[in-house]
Amino acid sequence: MSKDFLPALFAESDFGKGAKRQMKKYIGKRLLLFIPTILIISFVIFFIIQLPPGDYVTSYVAARIAEGETFTEADIAYLRQSFGLDDPWYVQYFNWMKDIITEGDFGYSFEYGRDVWDVIMDRLWLTLAVSFTIFVFQYGVSLPIGIYCANHQYSAGDYIWSFIGFLGTATPNFLLAILVMYWVYSATGSMYLGLFSTEMMQNGMRWEYVPEFLGRCLIPLFVIGTSGTCGIIRTVRAQMLDEQTQQYTLTARAKGCSEKTITYKYCLRSALNPVVSGMAHSLSSIFSGSTVSAIVMNLQIQGPVLLAALKSQDMYLAGTIVMVQAVLVVIGTLLSDIALAWLDPRIRFSERG
Amino acid sequence: MKKIIALLLAVFMLMSMAACSSNTDPTETSGTSANTEATDAGTEATDAVEISGYTEAPYITELGIYGDVTDRLPVEEDIMVEDADYLEIGTYGGELKTSTSVSPWTTGKIIEEGLFRFTSEGIVEPNVAKGYDVNDDATVFTIYLREGMKWSDGVDFTAEDCVWFYNTILLNNVDTKGVRDCNTSSDGTYAVVEKVDDYTFTVTFSEPKYSFIEDLEVELKWYYAPKHIFEDYANYVIEYNNATDDTAKAEAESKALAEAEAICGVKFADVASSGKEMLYYFWNYSGIPTLNSYVLSTESGKNDVSGDYYEYVRNPYYWRVDAAGQQLPYIDKIVYTTIQNTDQSLLLLLDGTVDYQIVSMDAIATIRTEANVDINIYEWSGSSWGDVGTQIMWNLSIADEHLNALFNNSAFRQAMSICVNREEFASIYSEGWLSGGQATPSEGMLGYSEEWATKWTEYDPDYAKELLESCGLVMGSDGYYDFEDGTDFVLNIVSVADSGAADTYGILKPYYDAVGIKTTFRDYDRSNIDNMMLANEIECTLYPVTGIGDVSVILKPNSVVPGTATNVVWYGNLTADTATGDLLELINLKAQLDVTSDTDERTEIALKMLALHEENMWVISYVEASPTYFAVNARIHNFPEEGVFSDIYRDTGLAHCWCWYIEE
Repeated sequence: MSKDFLPALFAESDFGKGAKRQMKKYIGKRLLLFIPTILIISFVIFFIIQLPPGDYVTSYVAARIAEGETFTEADIAYLRQSFGLDDPWYVQYFNWMKDIITEGDFGYSFEYGRDVWDVIMDRLWLTLAVSFTIFVFQYGVSLPIGIYCANHQYSAGDYIWSFIGFLGTATPNFLLAILVMYWVYSATGSMYLGLFSTEMMQNGMRWEYVPEFLGRCLIPLFVIGTSGTCGIIRTVRAQMLDEQTQQYTLTARAKGCSEKTITYKYCLRSALNPVVSGMAHSLSSIFSGSTVSAIVMNLQIQGPVLLAALKSQDMYLAGTIVMVQAVLVVIGTLLSDIALAWLDPRIRFSERG
Repeated sequence: MKKIIALLLAVFMLMSMAACSSNTDPTETSGTSANTEATDAGTEATDAVEISGYTEAPYITELGIYGDVTDRLPVEEDIMVEDADYLEIGTYGGELKTSTSVSPWTTGKIIEEGLFRFTSEGIVEPNVAKGYDVNDDATVFTIYLREGMKWSDGVDFTAEDCVWFYNTILLNNVDTKGVRDCNTSSDGTYAVVEKVDDYTFTVTFSEPKYSFIEDLEVELKWYYAPKHIFEDYANYVIEYNNATDDTAKAEAESKALAEAEAICGVKFADVASSGKEMLYYFWNYSGIPTLNSYVLSTESGKNDVSGDYYEYVRNPYYWRVDAAGQQLPYIDKIVYTTIQNTDQSLLLLLDGTVDYQIVSMDAIATIRTEANVDINIYEWSGSSWGDVGTQIMWNLSIADEHLNALFNNSAFRQAMSICVNREEFASIYSEGWLSGGQATPSEGMLGYSEEWATKWTEYDPDYAKELLESCGLVMGSDGYYDFEDGTDFVLNIVSVADSGAADTYGILKPYYDAVGIKTTFRDYDRSNIDNMMLANEIECTLYPVTGIGDVSVILKPNSVVPGTATNVVWYGNLTADTATGDLLELINLKAQLDVTSDTDERTEIALKMLALHEENMWVISYVEASPTYFAVNARIHNFPEEGVFSDIYRDTGLAHCWCWYIEE
């Protein structure tokens, strides 16, 4: 085998061109599939949201009656008409879709009395900040631990981390939230509910509030971060162990590669494969994840808004949030596929056919 | 306390009746002397207070943009003085911290200002209006306003604001609620409201309307809107409502919505919601002047009631003072932080982040042991008949023939009542806080009698079985009763999810099983229950959506008289046309009450109505009425020790938060 055979086989330019073309075609195809997927999803979402008996008007009227307000039948009919809820649901769906496509208008939140996007945007930045921090925390913590556990299988450290990992996976987040809140209250005498204190909301963020704000971030970070973290630790550990017994690892080791190179350059890359696939869903959970924990800890993020909207059948708001989630799942899947193709040469080869 | 309530309610009955017909009542002003006599709330007390001068909060002084306090208050004799016996002279400043989940009324009831207001004894007393006169046949009511009173933006509040509100807003349905029953004569015609002078207007009915003032306070409360703000807006809305062609309608709509946005900065989606939000839930919109003690902030980030934080700031033109001449309120701001779940406010109360909160009795132990701050618990009477959580209602209008016959048979209801060991049940149910009871008015309320309160309360499972058999039920081989034709008798009980009824049912079921009544239980989301109610599908409820009883059958008969509301389970869809027997009699008595002026006669009719309830026991309860508990941070002073928690009295509004002050 001549020395120049390999470059010929892996001619950078040739491979690059072909792969790029392939990738473009692949992405283009996936993007086209987007449209029917989203349409079908939106239809199903709308159908499901209107499934429970009653509509926003019934829940609205019930809530107001509970507070002492009185309604006549005419009032209720009038409300229903003014909200456009007297049409059959498929007509409502059609009108909603028409406005989205023709005017980019996602409708109106009954509960908030404002445009759906206004309501979503209100909480978007905080949601993104919180979720992204948690995302970074999860991967930042769990990858090193997973690698450590794999490299020190059956050591004391491995057992300790595995134990914590199982505990974290097995404990529901909201329960952990309640426990942590109780401990924090017992220790400090303050509940630290929510990310902002009354003073922060009153006076806006100032430098002197930063320490308290960071302190308040710790609880949600810990609570929401742990469960995901534990899952990733388990995956990485198992994958790494798997890779470490593969032929290529043995070969590399036999050839005298350093353990560091073996771990980080070879095994980790393969081990990351399922982790990266898992990220597909992270994108949508960044947008509106951790609902129950957010309610328990009174975080002003998107999840609780969605839950409230579903409960009161504030259908355009709920529909829009769920649809954005769906779009993000689809985008996330695409991104993770692309990342996988980039990360794992085997996928590139199979793509190339 | 019960004695006091008894006494006060007795007084209330007399006073509220007297207020309907008399024009020499001491709590009112009489026509010509209105401007010369001291005419304030609790007039006698006002006379006793000597106020030498008026002072304002440092908060207002520091702002430096408002002039002399005396120029902002009404003329001296029309200033309202808060001098109830329990009040201490307070000090200015501080913030009242509270929390809320999104709801227009949480922020509203506590600061609401009706034309008149109820005392906790149910007596109507002057409020925004300083008094009224009524002619002998109760067709013309003359209402007197306070001279020099101002809106929170400093513009004069006059009779024009009331007259315009009725004639423009209500008659044209601009607020989407339109003319309420209190403005309708018995022949169905609307009242005529006319201005006499800047501080006087009349409300004229075509037929006698004895209960106008009470009805006004129960149904409508306020009777005014700032004309100087809404005049253009209302005209556009009327233009919109009357427009016949699409172009004109669209044009009027965009004008109305643009005007609405200019007023309160909110882009409404349609005319109807803009009208309802700005004129019905007006206190929740920044930039709309009110007469309330606190107005929503106009600062961005603090003025959106659907946001996570907002605040209500003291009204510099508020028209009440304390006995020392200090302009109220004492506390500078009410600040709200939004919570996702009402349980969280208890947590926030414990660490002092929130100043007051209504709590359940089982939370009191937690507060006593876990709180990091001093918290006082105040117990207010409830107004329900027995504990609402243990009220059982059977739908007397249920379509199923078997069930209909059974529910309408008082022997069955009695069996259901006596088959439960009340004391045992109550101690488990309330963790020892409450004793057994029955669905009757509480001691001190109109119609209370010991016989009624103890009727069908004696535990007797054997007699219960006899009664069930007397209803034609036959014991089946499975140990449960069947109908005579052999079909299974199953009582399907429903309730509202998260009401705690599921737990209550868990305690009740063994008692029912023991006498052979087969039951099922399911809880539904509130809106589902509401739909089931409209469809008349509910058989039986535990913890009914609308409990029976209110402070007074005269002031608010909805839960007691069939046909007066759509959301009461026990009478379902029964009306004067479909009801029979005692139920029809009850409806007829209510109709008679509406056209009776004489105080004694009205009381007599009310008592007859209640006697029918005592006779038939259409609704039962297993536990005595539970009070409402307020947990209030000890730094808040002037919270009334006693009160009655009722929507008619505006719930916490009766605590007059403008009189609260903070002392650490």
